[in-house]
Parts: sequence; structure tokens; C-alpha cells
Amino acid sequence: MTDVVSGQAAPPAYGPATTNLADILERVLDKGIVIAGDIKIDLLDIELLTIRLRLFVSSVETARKAGIDWWETDPALSSRAARHELHEENQRLRERVAALESGDSAGSAAPKSEAGA
Amino acid sequence: MTGHPDAPETATATYVFAVGRRLDPAVLSGLTGLAAGFPVRGLTFGPLTAVVQHVPADEFTQEAWQERLSDRAELERCARAHHEVVTRAATCGPTVPLALATLYRGDDRARQALAEDTHRFAATLDRVEGHAEWGVKVWVPAAAPKRPETAAAPSLRGGGGAGRAYLERKRGLRQAREHHHERALRIAEDVDAALRRLATAARRLRPHTSEMTGEKNRVQVLNAAYLVTAVRERELRDAAETWRRRTGVDVEVSGPWVPYSFVGEG
Repeated sequence: MTDVVSGQAAPPAYGPATTNLADILERVLDKGIVIAGDIKIDLLDIELLTIRLRLFVSSVETARKAGIDWWETDPALSSRAARHELHEENQRLRERVAALESGDSAGSAAPKSEAGA
Repeated sequence: MTGHPDAPETATATYVFAVGRRLDPAVLSGLTGLAAGFPVRGLTFGPLTAVVQHVPADEFTQEAWQERLSDRAELERCARAHHEVVTRAATCGPTVPLALATLYRGDDRARQALAEDTHRFAATLDRVEGHAEWGVKVWVPAAAPKRPETAAAPSLRGGGGAGRAYLERKRGLRQAREHHHERALRIAEDVDAALRRLATAARRLRPHTSEMTGEKNRVQVLNAAYLVTAVRERELRDAAETWRRRTGVDVEVSGPWVPYSFVGEG
């Protein structure tokens, strides 16, 4: 009620002081005025980035406290996880080879598309 | 190799952060920007001033940005640095932020390109002057509330047996979920409608998915931005608080932001 608004005086002190990354990214990537630059940069929008980076809003520390640490097993983000994935793939291939060598139908029964996956 | 003190004109690009009418160089002092060692400074074009920085050209190529987009820490550093410069510049007056990664081969090229858009910048500055952007998010609990009455009802009807009771219980749960979902969306619409009445302009942003928020227990059903005059800020906060109390959902307000969401066309 007793708000004294200082009219045209100083512009607001912009913040916010603490901001999560997603809030900033959706503004600096997806908003802001767009003018053609000399260097053509195709930035992904925030949704694609999320998929690509498994982007996480709060800090890594906060997430760890919350017990959410899936990025540590994300192959794109962890070489340890990459090794793990390689190990798993090798395992799958070995099983496949064993199945084929034993003349078992399991190998040929698998969908063809899987070979390219 | 020429021995010229600032020879690397060819090795640097000009990164543009924002455009304003007047800029006090003092507010930019101490900012790292995107490249340590290069000052963040003003670059005038016509009646306006851009906030720019020289950056090493080879670190700001298309390829370099593609790599940056695969590196969460590096992307975060750039986004926060960009935001910090924009925010600092805005303490001097109305400011139009540019999208991340607006780059020119040099100051002359930047000045020339910006000048072509002088009218657009001026009109946008007029529109946002005296305003700030406020972000508002509405969250609802992730799971539908338990409804014991729907689970108990089937036992009153004979003849169906356990199978029928199971199906009815499933149906009850589904209805509860749908009801919960509809209520959440309705609250989101109501909050948005109420806040729009206080705002000069409003934008719906995409709600953050649980993958982005990392939240298991609540779901974001509204993510919106409102362009609000200083006079209305208190009303916006009060309205958010009223909705929070009335509906029991979480209504989060963030701001004031430089009006990023209100300077583009989209």
C-alpha cells in the first residue's frame, strides 16, 4: 500500500541473484534478439540440448545430494561409463557369436535392424 | 609477428552481448565475459551502444561451438558469462540482450551489421523501458492423491469377484490420475490468466521436463514470463502468493530478469 515507486529513477537491479542453469539457457539460447552474425552458429534449442547433455538444472552438487547421479553413467559424459558400455556391448556380441556358432536359431531370429544398432 | 601491440585484429572476432542507449563503462569493469584478458566494452553505432568483447577467433568458430554444446561445464560457463554481462549492462538503462554466440569478424563489421538494425533496436528499447521480466513456474505433485473410496466401492457389488474388483480399482485410479492432471492444467491456465492481467506482455515458455529439473516428486505445469512495470512487481508477487495459498500448488517467482523473452519476434 505504501509502495513508493521512484518513477523514472534508477532502473531495476536485475538479477536474479541465484539462477538455475535451465532458466538462463532458455533465455540466452532461445530468446534474445537474433541478428545475423558473420560466423554462422547453429545453437540447439534447450530441449535438444537437454537430450544431448542430459542437462541438469540444479548444480551437480545438489543433484548428488539428492542421489541423482545418472550422468556418471552417461557415455557422453563419462569415459568410465563409456568403457562400461563397451564391455556390455562386447558381452552382447560374444553371446551372439556363441549362439550363431552353435547353429542355434536365436541369432537369425533377431531382427535385422539390430545388426546396425 | 609484426610486433604491432594489437596486431591480432585478424585473430579475434567481436562478440556482441547486448544493445542499449547509454552505457557507463564503469559498470563493465571487472567482467571476464567470454574470453579472459579481453575487456568487455562499449561499441557505439549511431545513437545506440552495443556491449562487445574481442574473443580469440579460433575458439569461437562453428566447430568450437559444436564442441561447446557437448560440454556441459563449458556451455554453462558461456551462458552464465553472457548473462552476467547482459545483467550488468542493464543497470545503465533499458537493454536488449542478443542471443548467445552473436559474432562478427571485427568491430567494423559488428558496427555495420548492428547499424542496419538500429530502428528495430530502438523500437525494442522503447517497448521494454521501465519493465522487467518475471519468470513464474507452477508445480504440482507428481502423483495423483490416493482415493481410498474408489478402492473400497467394488466390494459392495456382488457377482463380479476379484477380477471385477481389480478392474474397478484400476479404473478408479485412472480416473483419479486424469482428475489430478486436469486440475493441474486448469490451475496453470488460471494462474497464467491472472498474471497476464498485471503484465504488459506475457510469454509461455516450455515447462521443464523432469529430466531437466531432476525432480521426482513434482511436475512443472506452467513456465511463463511476464513483462511487468516496476509499479506492478509487488502485485505480481502478491498474486503468486495468493494462488499458492488458494490451491496448495507451488508457484515460484524468479526475477527481475532483463527482458530476454520480450525482445525477439517469436
